[in-house]
Amino acid sequence: MKPGHNYRIVTNNPLVRDILGQWYEIDYSDITYREVLVKVRDLIYAGHTLFTHPLSGSVKPNETPYKSILVSKVPGTYDMDGTELMSNAIIAFDKFKQLERHYADYHLRDFQLIDYSLLCSALDVDAVAGLSKRNPS
Amino acid sequence: MKLELGFIEIKDVQFSNECAVKDGILYVNPDQVKEFVYENDDVRQYLKSINFDIAKPGESVRITPVKDVIEPRVKVEGPGGVFPGVISKVDTVGSGRTHVLRGCAVVTAGKIVGFQEGIIDMTGPGADYTPFSKTLNVVMIVEPVEGTKQHDYERAVRFAGLRAATFLGELGRNVTPDEVKTFETYGIKEGLEKLPGLPRVGYLHMLQTQGLLHDTYVYGVDAKKIVATLLNPTETMDGAILSGNCVSACDKNTTYHHLNNPVVAELFEEHGKSINYVCNIITNENVYLADKQRSSDWAAKLAKLLDLDAVIVSEEGFGNPDADLIMNCVKNEKQGIKTVLITDEYAGQDGKSQSLADVSPLATAVVTGGNANMVINLPPMDKVIGTLDYVDIIAGGHAGSLQPDGSIDAELQIITGATNEMGFNRLSAR
Amino acid sequence: MSFRVVHYINQFFANIGGEEMAHVAPELREGAVGPGMAFNQQWKGEAEVVKTIVCGDSYFAEHEKEAKEQVLAWVKEAKPDLFIAGPAFNAGRYGYACANVALAVKTELGIPVLTGMYVENPGADLKDKVLMVATANSAAGMRKAAPAMAKLGLKLAKGEPLAASCVDGYMPNGVRVNFFEKERGAKRAVKMLIAKIKDEAFVTEFPMPNFDRVEPGKAIPDMSKAVVALCTSGGIVPKGNPDHIESSSASHYGEYDITGWDALTAEGWQTAHGGYDPVYANADPNRVLPVDVLRQMEKEGKIGKLHNKFYTTVGNGTAVASSKKFAEEYAQKLLKDGVQAVIMTST
Repeated sequence: MKPGHNYRIVTNNPLVRDILGQWYEIDYSDITYREVLVKVRDLIYAGHTLFTHPLSGSVKPNETPYKSILVSKVPGTYDMDGTELMSNAIIAFDKFKQLERHYADYHLRDFQLIDYSLLCSALDVDAVAGLSKRNPS
Repeated sequence: MKLELGFIEIKDVQFSNECAVKDGILYVNPDQVKEFVYENDDVRQYLKSINFDIAKPGESVRITPVKDVIEPRVKVEGPGGVFPGVISKVDTVGSGRTHVLRGCAVVTAGKIVGFQEGIIDMTGPGADYTPFSKTLNVVMIVEPVEGTKQHDYERAVRFAGLRAATFLGELGRNVTPDEVKTFETYGIKEGLEKLPGLPRVGYLHMLQTQGLLHDTYVYGVDAKKIVATLLNPTETMDGAILSGNCVSACDKNTTYHHLNNPVVAELFEEHGKSINYVCNIITNENVYLADKQRSSDWAAKLAKLLDLDAVIVSEEGFGNPDADLIMNCVKNEKQGIKTVLITDEYAGQDGKSQSLADVSPLATAVVTGGNANMVINLPPMDKVIGTLDYVDIIAGGHAGSLQPDGSIDAELQIITGATNEMGFNRLSAR
Repeated sequence: MSFRVVHYINQFFANIGGEEMAHVAPELREGAVGPGMAFNQQWKGEAEVVKTIVCGDSYFAEHEKEAKEQVLAWVKEAKPDLFIAGPAFNAGRYGYACANVALAVKTELGIPVLTGMYVENPGADLKDKVLMVATANSAAGMRKAAPAMAKLGLKLAKGEPLAASCVDGYMPNGVRVNFFEKERGAKRAVKMLIAKIKDEAFVTEFPMPNFDRVEPGKAIPDMSKAVVALCTSGGIVPKGNPDHIESSSASHYGEYDITGWDALTAEGWQTAHGGYDPVYANADPNRVLPVDVLRQMEKEGKIGKLHNKFYTTVGNGTAVASSKKFAEEYAQKLLKDGVQAVIMTST
């Protein structure tokens, strides 16, 4: 596990909030995938450092509702590369056709799990072990 | 390192009371295969049932959702065995002799996660896009024990497929191959002596390593935990690299692709003629940005250390890996190592959007496997192996993708191997 | 039934004359003239040039609006299934006319259009908007160009979907189309690599987007002594737009003096830009060209001085080549005036 003191997780994934929220600062809100990208972009503008690639995962951005991105907890020097990655990510998001999709609860749980595990791989958190420590709240 | 591949042409696959390869026919007794597959703790614990079916080129058959495709092989001479560190012991492979049941494949099918994609059509327009419409497929339809977690299930299905392929490959051990080909690369000094003056070329092979269901294994090691390292190209032919990737059917590299890596094959074609094919550098595509920087730095460092003149870089996946692809390109170009990149595109359904999530003016030589967003109509098939339950929510699909008559309107993304980024196919775009 | 085609050519290909006759006004002729006959031959009756429009290149350049209107009126009346212009080869004004007249027919009348020219013809700037066949750089290339244009034209008239640019022979137009190559990707990659190693020509399958990045200049050590200028592509001009800077596709830029202005006012200034809602820029032009803030910084000694002139144009659809030309020119003026830093605002 990477040291948690400098990380903020921006997410709309309740699974990430419930598990990783036990060890990391979580910025959770019930917003869309695109809104997460925009929120992180604005944080990067404000001087936070981007730690994970915004288009992590092979599930395309118009397919999953969930996105979690790791940034620095506090603003520091301006992250030029991060800015570019975020704007490219939003451009990439916008090119995918917004599809009408009907998800059952278990699909949503699968999508949450994938997003969660991608983030865990960045944090060096054992995703499986984390699942068993899910915060009951 | 030198490896002989003995190709046994498989012309037909049939269910039978015995398991054997005779006169080019692969006879399969599903019960015997199953027995071998179940001799594994994960498989026993997590897989409720495994059913076998056969799909042949030209048949009106649709296989979905596809997880992995594996070619049966067996090591007949030299150290180690196929799929080292996973099925066989972890000895270094890639030398001696290996037999290949060419023309057939094991396909694992069955739902892992609710959106997992992958369609193989054995005939019709969809068949043109997947290489696995041309193989005789032994399909394993797998079902989990109730309550099995996705990651346990993925591992169990991965092992089940590899074990079945290993079992079938073993049937070719004592068969005389129809064709034998030798592949050999040299050490640095030896290469300079044997192939003086030829440009030194490497293959920078990017492995999908983002996390659960997005993983690749090298000698059993989860490749997101490696730093860039070297492989002899022949090691890949013995299964040193295998796929644990279940997402993005069109541009994920199945284990079959790793065994039959087309970049390795085509570089060997020119090896000793116009180039000196030195080795493969494997690197990963992690989510953490510092990992990307480290891995691409190390890959470039190895390329320089080996005095390479040029590298081919192949990608796996979309979005995040575009960043690694461009870093690998830029860092090599900047140190004077010429690059050619192989990728695919997500240019939108109308083809008008920016294809890659990252670009660079130094990427002057790019080969593309086509636009994965292209919309395709797949007519109904007489038989479905697996289930169509997920078509409406899998990658490239949408509500209404599955028509009442069984036809499918979806993006090319839905087809296994359609826009492969190792350059396995002829599909391209302009 | 044969598809009806209207063909646009210049005075040279209508056999009227060369440069000395480039002034001739548009003229409508029945049937095929010059290269149109080559198209007819290729089509073998499947399609036919029914009318030919001839226009002098100088006339088009100097009376673009009138020429376009006249052509559109004739084309509308002829109700063709296809409009073809050129091929123009390397003739710059002819290429410009072909591309622009074809674009007008496409957007105004919704009729499929096609032209042809050499890739470096300035008219080829419009290749993403108008389908173009790449030709040789002189009329000697007609033998190759005519069949290629005829074939593609027929496809357009029939309403068939386009194949990839390299298959159908048009200039890549930013729309990516899939097709099957003869060899697999890995083989193509190895061939490309060998060509690259040998410094031989090769064609990338995915050209990177056009990068025109400018390396940032060196940092200015002491801003409190620097002369700073403001420039904008947001179209800020004196009230009334005295130099008539176009609201889109600007053909020139303006140079204006702000001596004595502490801030821009709604009474004195406005935007000429047609690509965004002008209400907020007109209400407070400092929102686009921040004279107010720079004056403040000047007073506070944060910058040495705000340059007394600013340069402005409208970025809306303005060709990159034009923008470059503007900037190259006024950058020299800025240098001459001793300006050390420029803040360029966009909208």
